[in-house]
Amino acid sequence: MVPIINQIYAKFLEKRINSAKTKIEFYDNYLPIKLQTLEDRYNRKVEIIKLKHKQKLLSLEIPAGVNSEYLKENYETELANLKDKFYWKERIIKASAQRKGEDGKEQIQELEKEKSIKANDIKNKYYPKPTSEAIKNYETNQPILNETLETKINKLQTSYQTKVDRFTNKSNKAVKRYQVININLSAKLHEITKDKIAKYSLEENVVLSLKSLSMHFGGLKAVDDLSFDVKEGEIFGLIGPNGAGKTTVFNCITRFYKPTLGDIYFKNIYGDVVYLNDKLVHNIIKEGIVRTFQNVEMVWELNVIDNLLVAAHTIYRSGFFGHLFNSRLLRQEEKVMRRKAMKILGDLGISSYQYAYPYGLPYGILKKIELARTLMANPKLIILDEPAAGLNDLETADLAKVIKKIRNEYNATIFLVEHDMGLVMEICDTVCAISFGKKLAIGSPKEIQNSKIVQEAYLGGE
Amino acid sequence: MMICRTEVSKDRKARIKQITNHPYFGFFIITFLMLIVQLLRVAGVPVSNTLIRAFGITMIYIIIALGFSILLGYAGLASLGTAGFVGIGTYILGYFTKNLEASIFIVILVSILGAIVIGLIVGFISLRIEGMYLAIITLGLSEILNEVFKNAVSITNGTNGLGLDSQLIIFKNLIFVNHNTIFIFTAIIMFIMMILTLNLIKSPTGRALLAMRNSTSAAQAMGVSILKYRLMAFIVSTVYAMLGGVIYMSYISFSIPTTWSLAFSLNILAAVIVGGSQSIYGIVLGTFMIFGLNLGVFQQFDFFKENPAISVMFNGLLIILVIMFYPGGLIRLVTTSYYKLKKALAKLKMKWRNYRYGSDN
Repeated sequence: MVPIINQIYAKFLEKRINSAKTKIEFYDNYLPIKLQTLEDRYNRKVEIIKLKHKQKLLSLEIPAGVNSEYLKENYETELANLKDKFYWKERIIKASAQRKGEDGKEQIQELEKEKSIKANDIKNKYYPKPTSEAIKNYETNQPILNETLETKINKLQTSYQTKVDRFTNKSNKAVKRYQVININLSAKLHEITKDKIAKYSLEENVVLSLKSLSMHFGGLKAVDDLSFDVKEGEIFGLIGPNGAGKTTVFNCITRFYKPTLGDIYFKNIYGDVVYLNDKLVHNIIKEGIVRTFQNVEMVWELNVIDNLLVAAHTIYRSGFFGHLFNSRLLRQEEKVMRRKAMKILGDLGISSYQYAYPYGLPYGILKKIELARTLMANPKLIILDEPAAGLNDLETADLAKVIKKIRNEYNATIFLVEHDMGLVMEICDTVCAISFGKKLAIGSPKEIQNSKIVQEAYLGGE
Repeated sequence: MMICRTEVSKDRKARIKQITNHPYFGFFIITFLMLIVQLLRVAGVPVSNTLIRAFGITMIYIIIALGFSILLGYAGLASLGTAGFVGIGTYILGYFTKNLEASIFIVILVSILGAIVIGLIVGFISLRIEGMYLAIITLGLSEILNEVFKNAVSITNGTNGLGLDSQLIIFKNLIFVNHNTIFIFTAIIMFIMMILTLNLIKSPTGRALLAMRNSTSAAQAMGVSILKYRLMAFIVSTVYAMLGGVIYMSYISFSIPTTWSLAFSLNILAAVIVGGSQSIYGIVLGTFMIFGLNLGVFQQFDFFKENPAISVMFNGLLIILVIMFYPGGLIRLVTTSYYKLKKALAKLKMKWRNYRYGSDN
């Protein structure tokens, strides 16, 4: 009885630890966004206050004859506006004259006169003769105004600072709290599970391990006693002639099919080894396995960014009622996720498509969007089903670069099925060749190229 | 003086734009437009009873259609059981108020619980059956419910219909509420339901539903549980329908089984399809075209009163035209024509500019 309770408790603890980890990540990501918005708001407010202050000063400066920079700026903009206004008036006159067949020189001359009068008016308005009274007024009031400005700005700054402090404190406290929780829970978990070392184990740098996997459809053995290991951080290619069972292997790993025999083990994002045969299809992504599809599966009604957010579905902490009432947590999470999505799009070089709808975009871009979507879920293993299908040579070369970039920058292991041998031989570190569900050979691309069995399977015997 | 003025006005304009661009602003306008008739009557203008009633019923149907659009437009599940669910809502209010003298809040709670139970049942069915067959099964369920309404005489008063003498109970004491207040409450509830629907469809839940509608396997690969979201879609839509039923009963104060027949479900389906199943404005437009136009406009003329079949024929024609030429719904037509108009206006403005100022070169 006790071991079962312990098991349940351990599972519960694991869930708590994982949720604490996601919370820490959320606070880390949300803090800069919040600080940025606070700063922007503060700067705008200060700008407006300063402008209003200058405006007040201006009404003192003009009669006193003080030649400030702001006065000059205002004078020049007003002159420019006047010029603009008269330019259009001139064009009206010219156009109407042209229609009548006259040249309209008299009217233009009149206009010029009017313009010079108005310009003079403006000059008089901004530079009148200074009176001693106004100068006195200016001298007494100017320091007072300056002082009020300073106090206002100080007030704003202190409120801004307190807001920033409050928020950073809150965030730091939360992070600390969750860290402490994490440590405590981890200790508890260790205590429970110390007697029996982890349920399943894998070799040190292996991420995914298939152990004698078989998948039978009736009498057909689509996959027959297949086993191989995928190492951490490598690009692993699975090749084979048509009908060799590559896609079936994929579907077994992602739980779309339930394998007849055999085990699949996976080291998830938290470093624990899980037995994938126990998992449900929609829970695979939580362990860190994300897949793409052979023919791109977009949500056509949503734009590219929203399409990426679909894949972040499991990361959201807000629940149904949070969504229904548009809760604060949801709004914060949405900001964090959007930022993340934009960063990923920028990394893959497709940020110009962020608000476009996928319908009608080129196939190469759609493939890249699908790749970007896999990255939204913090994947550990990305499974690509024929990424180069339907692409031309240029797009394929571009895709190869992108796949390598993802492997290097996002620390993800990549597992792909591909027919384009050029792409496979170029990017893969290890290649596994299968035929009729059986493993033919495994090794580096060169070894596979030179392997006689593989050549026979592809080209037929002698 | 120029600089400061322009900067401050820019700020003010931005603030006004923030209000008018707010996603809820349009709903507020719609609610206000719906309320105008009632407000006119309060102000003393003689507005006919039928017109006000038409607006009230249209608002109730909008609430029901909103729930249905989540099911059809977002989860991609077709259901013809709406009428039965709305009927249950009306009879819950009727029975609880008349026989048990329960408060309206208890009625709402009970109807939501009932909606969850029925939504769960239909949702589980939908896991195995999809498309047209699901529609047929829900239709069967609705017909069963209709027979129950006809034969459970002690609760529903059978085919004679259940009347309520416009009485509602709020907190124990019997309180008689007149139709004018209920009209205003209906408008407010419609406003709230629109906001909630918008929140839901713009949230991760809405995106998950859309992903599920496009491809179940892709949605599952992205972590969307089909079980959870199908059940959720059915529960939400049933809650909307039952709430619509409760409001219908409190506004009309009379419920008869013949109303809750297949025709009602089909009309709601038609409203959602004619308007545009993925847009809230589209649903308002579609409901108005199918129900509001007939009740509010046609019924004012003697010709249509004498020949009620003509409005039905009009609906049929409308559905054919919309499905043939605007599969996205009438709202698609409205938005595209709006952009075309904008383009044409810009062109006209350019022409006028060239005429007035002479061409640029």
